[in-house]
Amino acid sequence: MSIVLVGLNHRTAPVEVRERLAFSEEACAESLRKLVDGDAIREGMIFSTCNRVEILTATEGRQVSDTAARISDFLSETRQVPQDLLHRHLYVHSDEQAVRHVFRVAASLDSMVVGEPQILGQVRRAYALAVETGTVGRVLHRLLHHAFRTAKRVRTETGIGAAAVSVSYTAVELGRKIFGSLDGRTVLLIGAGEMAELALKYLVKAGASRILVTNRTDAKAEELATRFGGEAVDYARLVENLAQADIIICSTGADRYVITSEMARQALVARRHQPAFFIDISVPRNVDPKVGELDNLFVFDIDDLEAVIESNIREREREAQRAELIVDAEVMRFQQQLRNMDFGPIVSALKQKLIEIARHEYARQRPRLGHLTPEQERAIETMLMATVNKISHPIIHRLRRSYEAGNIDNVQAWRDIFELDSGLGKEFDD
Amino acid sequence: MKIFLLTALAAYIVAAIHSVLGFINQKRALERVAHLSLGFGFAAHTIALIMDWASGGYYPLFHFSETFSFLGWALVIAYAIFFRHYRAHALGGFTLPLVALLVLAANISQKEGDLRPHALMRGEATWLFPIHTTSLFFAYAAFVVVFIASIMYLLQERELKLKHFGIAFHRLPALATIDEISAVAASIGFAFLTLGIIAGMSWSFARDGRVWRNDPKEVLAATTWLLYLALLSQRHLAGWRGRRAAWVGVAGFALVLCTFFGARLMGGYHVF
Repeated sequence: MSIVLVGLNHRTAPVEVRERLAFSEEACAESLRKLVDGDAIREGMIFSTCNRVEILTATEGRQVSDTAARISDFLSETRQVPQDLLHRHLYVHSDEQAVRHVFRVAASLDSMVVGEPQILGQVRRAYALAVETGTVGRVLHRLLHHAFRTAKRVRTETGIGAAAVSVSYTAVELGRKIFGSLDGRTVLLIGAGEMAELALKYLVKAGASRILVTNRTDAKAEELATRFGGEAVDYARLVENLAQADIIICSTGADRYVITSEMARQALVARRHQPAFFIDISVPRNVDPKVGELDNLFVFDIDDLEAVIESNIREREREAQRAELIVDAEVMRFQQQLRNMDFGPIVSALKQKLIEIARHEYARQRPRLGHLTPEQERAIETMLMATVNKISHPIIHRLRRSYEAGNIDNVQAWRDIFELDSGLGKEFDD
Repeated sequence: MKIFLLTALAAYIVAAIHSVLGFINQKRALERVAHLSLGFGFAAHTIALIMDWASGGYYPLFHFSETFSFLGWALVIAYAIFFRHYRAHALGGFTLPLVALLVLAANISQKEGDLRPHALMRGEATWLFPIHTTSLFFAYAAFVVVFIASIMYLLQERELKLKHFGIAFHRLPALATIDEISAVAASIGFAFLTLGIIAGMSWSFARDGRVWRNDPKEVLAATTWLLYLALLSQRHLAGWRGRRAAWVGVAGFALVLCTFFGARLMGGYHVF
């Protein structure tokens, strides 16, 4: 039995190739049914996101290279991509390498932005889809569950996802550094825009409770206010509104400073020097950088936020090195478990054992039987084998059921009864 | 007894190292080790203080070594209170090395021969002496916390203003939290300072009818008192906070140091 993974990602293939290969959810299910034939390819799963397309399979009795070739043929056929183009971008991982790859992907170590949290959800969805389609068996079940556990360990034991790497989440992180908790804070949104609205959403999720919205056109302000459950305030009375707000998100199309140093100073006095955090995501800037020179006022424009993100990415990369150690340990553990649960070797070991016993007993009694014709010899041989098969059949049947249910204790019990453990490892290594 | 103070020192050093490493590597496990060691050191330290008091026959706050030791002890209490309340993990990395240093100083400094505690302790209302000194040392410990919080604030604020995020940014608590620690510690320190000064004045009055002697230490203490009064009242009335308050916290600590060491060097009525 082996695990084979064939795929490409953002590092090995440009977006033009990735988008040609990408599977929709329906296409995924249909292709899986075609690919997993129940013979050589026993189990399969397709993982397709905008950054990667990967096909993960568990195979029986075939060379890895055969399986890989079959999968790449399959990809080329179903996605209508010429083989030679595909070959330049595809990678093939098998067994331990494939396990490590799956763990690294789930733990977001192979992502474009290391540590980004979406990937785990995407892997889960791909797994659920394959389970629904019925192409996941005991090997992939175990592999994926172990991958989820590894991802969780990496997330809790390293700071890989701790530092913010998006503009909106960086805004929340900086807000927390200034205010401690964002609970009950007031946010003032000046203008509109996708990034500003996203930042507002994140701040509200982090606890900010009062939302003020202002815009040069009152109708637009009203609309945004209704959308976010805030109140629209008068654009003409900006200083007054500034005085009330702890966090100000500024995103207008104006080509001059909307908030001048003097306005900020007045607002600061009005709010008795309580700190305020200006997020200026407009280009050209809307908040005079001199505002940041005032005590207790903190101004971050879009470049500043990008710089924070840059430094956070470096921090994540340092943490990723610690995460690799966790992945290494988990890969070893999984390989161990896989060895223990491999079904084929135990069946042959069991049969071998019974045949040995039968042959041994026959050999002991053989001298007493005198001369036998070759026909008689064959009859005795057939009888012995039939007996062994009849005895082992119900046991194997039970074993298979235990395996499929993942009931390792039960399997272990059978092994203990027949003392099978000694010969097993050797056979697997062969 | 020397052995207990040495034990305390060893435990404090372990605690200090672990909490500094915990601060740098952001590992909570190291912090737990630091706290266990700190608790053990504090128990030994407390025994050392009690035994000193019992064997010396006077309240053990005369010699430099005794004052260092007591200040270290008070600082551990202050740290425990502020950590419990604010969960400010960075606090230990700054405070505990200081505690270790103070107790080290207590261990190596000699008792000055020219001080005769027993002679001083004659006269009226000697019961006021422990109140006077203890309150002042708790005040000093609180001001150390104000100082540490102020330094943390200034570091964090600098990183935020310059938008350059180095070692401090990810490890120090939020500005609002540090500011609050500093404000609360200043209030507590101020209360103890006031109590200590009143006790000192009453003692002096009971001994010879004089409340004020223009002693350098008294002048410096009064200045310190006024400075913290200004800081606290401005915080409440004018919304002084953040950077400005942090600088006052640093200045206040410099004054405390002058009061503590300077007055002894300048001589005067106070022995320390």
